[in-house]
Amino acid sequence: MNWLPRKNILVPVDFSDDSRAGLQTAREMIKDPAHLHVIHVLPIMEVADPGVIWDTIDDQSRREHAEKALRQEMCEQGFDDEVHIVVRFGDPGHEIVAYAEEIEAGLIVVSSHGRTGLRHLLLGSVAERVVRLARCAVLVLKHT
Amino acid sequence: MRNARASALFFVVLLGLVFSGDARAQQPADSRPPEATATADEKGQVDGTEREEEPTGWMGKVDAFFGEWLVKPLNAVLFFDFGTSWFFNDEKKSVPFLVVWLLFGAIFFTIRMRFINVRGFWHAIRLTKGDYDKSGETGEVSHFQALSSALSATIGLGNIAGVAIAVGWGGPGAIFWLILAGFLGMSSKFAECTLGQMYRKVDRDGTVSGGPMHYLSDGLAELGWPRLGMVLAVLFTILCMGASFGGGCVFQVSQSLNSLQEQVSWLEDDQFPWLYGLVMAILAGVVIIGGIRRIAATAEKIVPTMCILYVAAAAYILIVHRAEILPAFGLILESAFTPEAARGGFLGVMVIGITRAGFSNEAGIGSAPIAHAAAQTDEPVSEGIVAALGPFIDTIVICTMTGLVMVVTHAYNNPAYEQLRVDKKGAALTSNAFAETISWFPWVLSFAVVLFAFSTMISWSYYGERCWSYLFGRRTSMIYKLIFIGFVFLGSIVAPKSLLLFSDLMLFSMALPNIFGVLLLSGKVRRQLDEYWQRYKKGELEWKRQKR
Repeated sequence: MNWLPRKNILVPVDFSDDSRAGLQTAREMIKDPAHLHVIHVLPIMEVADPGVIWDTIDDQSRREHAEKALRQEMCEQGFDDEVHIVVRFGDPGHEIVAYAEEIEAGLIVVSSHGRTGLRHLLLGSVAERVVRLARCAVLVLKHT
Repeated sequence: MRNARASALFFVVLLGLVFSGDARAQQPADSRPPEATATADEKGQVDGTEREEEPTGWMGKVDAFFGEWLVKPLNAVLFFDFGTSWFFNDEKKSVPFLVVWLLFGAIFFTIRMRFINVRGFWHAIRLTKGDYDKSGETGEVSHFQALSSALSATIGLGNIAGVAIAVGWGGPGAIFWLILAGFLGMSSKFAECTLGQMYRKVDRDGTVSGGPMHYLSDGLAELGWPRLGMVLAVLFTILCMGASFGGGCVFQVSQSLNSLQEQVSWLEDDQFPWLYGLVMAILAGVVIIGGIRRIAATAEKIVPTMCILYVAAAAYILIVHRAEILPAFGLILESAFTPEAARGGFLGVMVIGITRAGFSNEAGIGSAPIAHAAAQTDEPVSEGIVAALGPFIDTIVICTMTGLVMVVTHAYNNPAYEQLRVDKKGAALTSNAFAETISWFPWVLSFAVVLFAFSTMISWSYYGERCWSYLFGRRTSMIYKLIFIGFVFLGSIVAPKSLLLFSDLMLFSMALPNIFGVLLLSGKVRRQLDEYWQRYKKGELEWKRQKR
């Protein structure tokens, strides 16, 4: 598959089965796992959260936890250590697109959770926002 | 922004849907401002008389609209009294449904959990001390820290102003019912907070989130009632957000302002009360929108210290009046069962005591499980046992202290304070009772009151935000925060009675979905408790403790 102008592929992972499907699709598209980037976006903590009040949780510890979980996930999905993983904080849609630009990704493989009706209206869709904001190609995997 | 607007619209529509049913059901029994609505009133309307005006301007119109279409129907349903006003020979006094519901829940859980509030007490203290803390368990904070966070939300004006109002209105007998409700409430707190831990969500980054919305939806789904669970969870989150604006915000601002006005003349109503609202709104905004952690952390961490100071001052007053302590207890017991008719009789005093206790310790309301879910433990039951200390500290210790000071200083029946009692200026009443012995104490008290108010607001904004996120996702939680800040400011300038009564109703009615769900899930709690208690008795937890 040489139709991608740039080689890096970005896959957002939220540890759901849908995002696992995204990983497997991406695997089929790349030859070198070093070109696969995986991102997990964490929400910003509320100041009144007990863990923040008592200073027992901070972004550093959260990042470490999440990175560990990501590594393990990649391992379970059969990827080796060459895959790049990154943890960002903020709104998932924006962070995914911003990171894609940083690494000059040629493609973002994002899975849609298939929320419909009310839940879609209320919670929106990360996939939708990525499609809207991204400056590279986006492959949306439909929920099955 | 499109999604945000859609969510806001949905919120309004949902609110309408939820309550339109109630509105239809209420027609015959509408205009009832009974005793317990008076107690609901107390939360908001303490500064009542001088600010009451004819509804003019947009605020008055909004108030009147709320009053006619929302509060009146809600009031008729939630404070439905089964015609008990017949007992009192008085249209204005009755036993409202929600008070019975809270009491029923507390008694049921006390029996179902076999007096966990008594048998778990010593274990709770050792758990809180950290005797059983173990590193590596899931969660964010220690038992003590979780309890402290939960207490910062419940300890507020209810303990200082609310109790004074209760004793001023219901007489010393109200203290007995207050203590009893606190004692039984410990079991409700145990059950709900154990569930909060059992059904919390642990994220990959090590953070946890829990609360009634999670155990109602997931717990009841496990029992085979996913739809019922979802309805109760959504109802709970809506009521919780409403309560956060009222009891968790407007009430705190208006009551603490009320206390400050006694000391600072230019905050009086005809001068610049709005300045106080502005300062509080800016401070709250800096914290919950600006994310300045230091302020929130300081305000919350200082709560235990302020509690100790307050109790110490009350204890000092009791020591000065030591000769009157025993007679005071005699008076409390005597008037609990045979109060003066003018104070609403036996049931009237009981309702006042139980209502005040419920507003203060929030047992069965469902707010505390959100904070307790964060505790670092793999044993849900242990956090429930710790949580049971909440009503003990809040009601049996702090509220009782306020009440006893009111009785031994005779502030509850001193004719000089008649006007304060009529106006329901609870904080001012307490302030005067303390000043009889410690002349400079009102200054300290005002400081404490402002601090309690602020920390309660921060905690409640967190509860509300959790609920908003559960319904609408985190992306739009800024809308909630902006509304909250708006209410902080409003608390200082307007006294829209209906709006306040509405939010108090919401605080109380959180108990409807919550206690109902906890009742259905109580079997699961009981099984976990029995299993835990067996291990505790066998000393298996001690072993774990030594291994630490």
